[in-house]
Amino acid sequence: MNVSTLTTVFAQGPVEAPAIDFAAVAPILIVFGGACLGVLVEAFFPRHTRWTWQVVLALLSIGTAGLAFGLYLREFTNPTTTLADRLAVDRPALFLWGTLIALALAAVLLIADRTIEPGGSFVAQAAVRAGSVQDHALNIAPGGTGPAGMRTEIFPLTLFALGGMMVFTAANDLLTMFIALEVLSLPLYLMCGLARRRRLLSQEAAVKYFLLGAFASAFFLYGLALLYGYAGSVKLTDIATATTAGDRSDTLLFVGLGLLVVGLMFKASVGPFHAWTPDVYQGAPTPVTAFMAACTKVAAFGAIVRVFHVAFQASSWEWRGVLWAIAIASMAIGAVLGLTQTDIKRMIAYSSIAHAGFLLVGALALTEEGRSATLFYLLAYGFTTLAVFGIISLVRDADGEATHLSQWAGLAKRSPVTAWVFTFLLLALAGIPLTSGFIGKFVVFTAAVQDGMAPLVVIALLMSAVAAFFYLRVVVLMFFSDPAPDGPTVTVPGVFTTVAITLGVLVTLLLGVYPAVALDWVGPGLAFAP
Amino acid sequence: MPVLGVTTTVAGPVIEAALAAPVHPAQQPPPADPATGLALYVPLVLLFVLAAGFAIFSVVIAPFVGPRRYNRAKLDAYECGIEPSPQPIVGGGRMPVAYYLTAMLFILFDIEMVFLYPFAVSADALGVFGLVEIALFIITVGFAYVYVWRRGGLDWN
Amino acid sequence: MLTVVVFLPVVAGVLLLATPRLPDAVLRWCLVAVTAVELVLVMVLWADFPGAAGYRFEARVPWMPSIGVSYHVGLDGLALPLVAMTAVLFLACAVYSLRETRRVRAYVALLLFLETTAVGLFAALDLILFFLFFDLSIVGMYFVIAGWGHRDHRRAALQFFLYTFIGSLALLLGFIGLYLAADPHTFDIADLTASRPLDGAPLAGALVLLAVTVGLAIKTPLVPFHTWLPPAHTEAPAAGSALLAGVLLKMGTYGFVRIAMPVLPAAWRQYTVVFVVVGVVSVLYGALVALAQTDFKRMIAYTSVNHMGYIALAIGTAGIIAGNDAQARQLAVTGAVTQMVSHGLITGALFLLAGVFYDRARTYDMSSYSGLAGTAPRFAGLTAVGAFASLGLPGFSGFIAEFQIFTGSLGAQPVATALAVLGILVTAALFLLALQRVFLGQQRLPAYVPTFGDLRVAEFVAVAPLLSLALLIGVLPRFLLDTIERGAGAVVELVAR
Repeated sequence: MNVSTLTTVFAQGPVEAPAIDFAAVAPILIVFGGACLGVLVEAFFPRHTRWTWQVVLALLSIGTAGLAFGLYLREFTNPTTTLADRLAVDRPALFLWGTLIALALAAVLLIADRTIEPGGSFVAQAAVRAGSVQDHALNIAPGGTGPAGMRTEIFPLTLFALGGMMVFTAANDLLTMFIALEVLSLPLYLMCGLARRRRLLSQEAAVKYFLLGAFASAFFLYGLALLYGYAGSVKLTDIATATTAGDRSDTLLFVGLGLLVVGLMFKASVGPFHAWTPDVYQGAPTPVTAFMAACTKVAAFGAIVRVFHVAFQASSWEWRGVLWAIAIASMAIGAVLGLTQTDIKRMIAYSSIAHAGFLLVGALALTEEGRSATLFYLLAYGFTTLAVFGIISLVRDADGEATHLSQWAGLAKRSPVTAWVFTFLLLALAGIPLTSGFIGKFVVFTAAVQDGMAPLVVIALLMSAVAAFFYLRVVVLMFFSDPAPDGPTVTVPGVFTTVAITLGVLVTLLLGVYPAVALDWVGPGLAFAP
Repeated sequence: MPVLGVTTTVAGPVIEAALAAPVHPAQQPPPADPATGLALYVPLVLLFVLAAGFAIFSVVIAPFVGPRRYNRAKLDAYECGIEPSPQPIVGGGRMPVAYYLTAMLFILFDIEMVFLYPFAVSADALGVFGLVEIALFIITVGFAYVYVWRRGGLDWN
Repeated sequence: MLTVVVFLPVVAGVLLLATPRLPDAVLRWCLVAVTAVELVLVMVLWADFPGAAGYRFEARVPWMPSIGVSYHVGLDGLALPLVAMTAVLFLACAVYSLRETRRVRAYVALLLFLETTAVGLFAALDLILFFLFFDLSIVGMYFVIAGWGHRDHRRAALQFFLYTFIGSLALLLGFIGLYLAADPHTFDIADLTASRPLDGAPLAGALVLLAVTVGLAIKTPLVPFHTWLPPAHTEAPAAGSALLAGVLLKMGTYGFVRIAMPVLPAAWRQYTVVFVVVGVVSVLYGALVALAQTDFKRMIAYTSVNHMGYIALAIGTAGIIAGNDAQARQLAVTGAVTQMVSHGLITGALFLLAGVFYDRARTYDMSSYSGLAGTAPRFAGLTAVGAFASLGLPGFSGFIAEFQIFTGSLGAQPVATALAVLGILVTAALFLLALQRVFLGQQRLPAYVPTFGDLRVAEFVAVAPLLSLALLIGVLPRFLLDTIERGAGAVVELVAR
């Protein structure tokens, strides 16, 4: 064949460029741009200046993204889609973007802190074998702000994860959602392994997260493929149309949905797909745990709400029963297993599994009230959890963080302010009134009862009471037990950590006392983009 | 984002266009009944079977047909013709991590090439938009390349 | 004005917490001062309280309009006496606490916080506001018991918290049910009372009533749900027990007359016999188990169960419309509220007196003491007065209350009332036995205690006014009954719709 054949074989008309609403997508682009610049900083800047530049870059990126988001918000009227219908820009997505940006800002502040652990909570050189003399000299010896410093790749990794989360919550089709899932997960796998102290535990957590996460992503992908086979398209709205058409093989739909749900529930640490959560939360460096516990859950549930409410609402009567069982399992596992924990990070991990169950109850209420309730709960829970982990990172002894519960005995005598703040946050997690946790639970349960799930709400209330027990146990331990004579002390936090914790506490209090600020925004007109 | 742009704007239309392109009648002998669907892949499967068969046959027949002359050097690990690097006795035969790194980097940039092929073929139709998209894609992967280069990932030692 | 009364204690508490380097004595006297000011303000409110029915001193500010929650407070004839009793009891406890030395700053702040939650709850006219103060009172009392209690205080506090917290969650479920049934959705008690959303749906109404009742019955406590009370009382510090019995228990019974009866009248009328039965069982069970106690504080705790049973009996019969005239029902409800006030004063005094035992000899075991009247005559006298008031001797408020309850209930439920009267006999027996064992006879003290000092000034000044008030109400009840009757009449009317 000659050249003209080739050209005619492959000739086609010019492809139309898709319409991109840059103003809407600007926050994501800024975050990713900041992350890429962060990689360049890693490549070119000398080691001793990297931390400064990375922190400035990270905070600037998130701040600018927030600014762009705010500017777009003011002129936002109707829900739209952009990027050739791949990204939905509607009120739920915008609410979640705002939440993620705010939470990520606080998380970056926690990550950047170098005053609690000299040199930062992250390893200076990961390639050194854990426990060796070199490791001790480089990573653990005090005064690690010298040439060794900390692994500053963590900042661009955080930004990449944040960008992935933002796309994950706004994705309008399953393929985009999958890509976003990978973009948000891969940096997190790395970030979990970079702890300066207890490095083996940290690396083990990273490997566990990676392996289990890869499996879960595979499940998601298989489900995606089957749903594509069912609906002929990966777009959520097309899948919804296909479910109502009713003349297709339901097997494909339900197997695909099941696999998809497994993948999503893994990310959201909903039991019984929760097995990674305690180990990973415990092993990861505490600022990263804070980032994961807050932001990943927000992103995962944002996607879950979108998938359930847009794609599968019509077929809900068929799959709801199974998800009831999953929600009950999650709440029960989180509440009951949390009772037996002796490490505080694991305990909070199990409590996050219980909270994931409550959030799932809200996501199952396929009404506007259910959506707004779930989103509000995510906002409230994210800030509370962030502050909780911020405080956990302050309680230290000679070997690093003192996370065993027995070491927290009598903390109120050593540092009353920390103990009182932590008590307030634990009461918020338990759902005592005047905290955002109560309002969150309250609106979620109201929406669920309204949607006819009263038995589920009864079980949820019982599990709340069970969970309240292990929160109270810590309070009792802090206030009414005698401290060990050589026990841990509470480090005075630097500016960054103080700001992060204060932000978390203030939001928890504000949303508890005056939730109308958020509820009004997330309440009416919470439709998804067509 | 560039990845998304490339896959959606390039791969889709290209495949559809290629399958639907008309062929100039004068350059083609009267076509036999064109194979459709999965039947298109039968030659491929046949080729795969032949190749696998050849390989397996060669490996299996060699011990039976070839001469048996013992030489200790034949039992060493093959390392591109050089002397194999000594393996520690404890922990048994660890590979230098450089191999792993090189393999990973190869895969990364190989996949980048895979995305470049469809673009190259339909660059015409994609116009300026496609050009900018692919440039952004290459730049983004280029960031990763710069990082690896500066951090010594490309040094063998 | 009412908002000031509600929030003054907690604001003062926060100020005292935040001010550094205040000596303990100053903190204790500040507590007395703030509670005294609170009482004066409540008296001012009472003086300004007209005779008409309906809510006075109302304030309504939308708080979470998207979910129908507003800050709505107001007092009517039922709430005002309870607020007054709360103020009086807190002042008495503040005076009693002039002898407290452990972690005074936190103690003072907690007590003031508890006062706000109590007054706030009685004044609340919005379900979520009610729930908020309900839960916060549990948190506050938990810290009081866990922090200043006796030997097994941690376990008792935890049991108290978990049990009542589960109850509050059941209450929340009921409130959500009411909210969703109302059209338009609202949590406002006044609006719900007017619209009675679940009257037409018997099953839903029954379920919501069950949820609300479980929550309130745990707090009251009524018999199957009472098991948290004795440990909580025995391990709590004296002032804590007094407040727990005097104020916190009333939150449960108040919830019945404020929320369950007016907002769910149809369901209440249908299941009212359950309350009669539970009331009688509580009366008899509480009295009989109290009779068997050897621990003085535990004994009084069980008499609390007994007294709350009378209230349950009364509000139960108030729901029986057939064959029961309105006046009898009003009498029963009036008696119930009077019993709330009276029990608060008397049992509060008794618990403060019980604290004297622990203070002198670190034990409440009645068999360790004998013949205390010799060394501590004032103590013996006041305890005797308290005991007689508690068993319903004419001349004290307890008699007024119980008389009204029995008169109001006799017509509708004669058998139940007769059984309940037996409770008085048992209560009389148990108190007389206790008095005889502890105060009369040969003097005998625990081995490690050289003497048993008589009442100190603080203790006396704390307890005597409470008992005098009980006496005053017993002899000149009109001033109290005038206020209560209006509110009780309104409730009775609301239930009969």
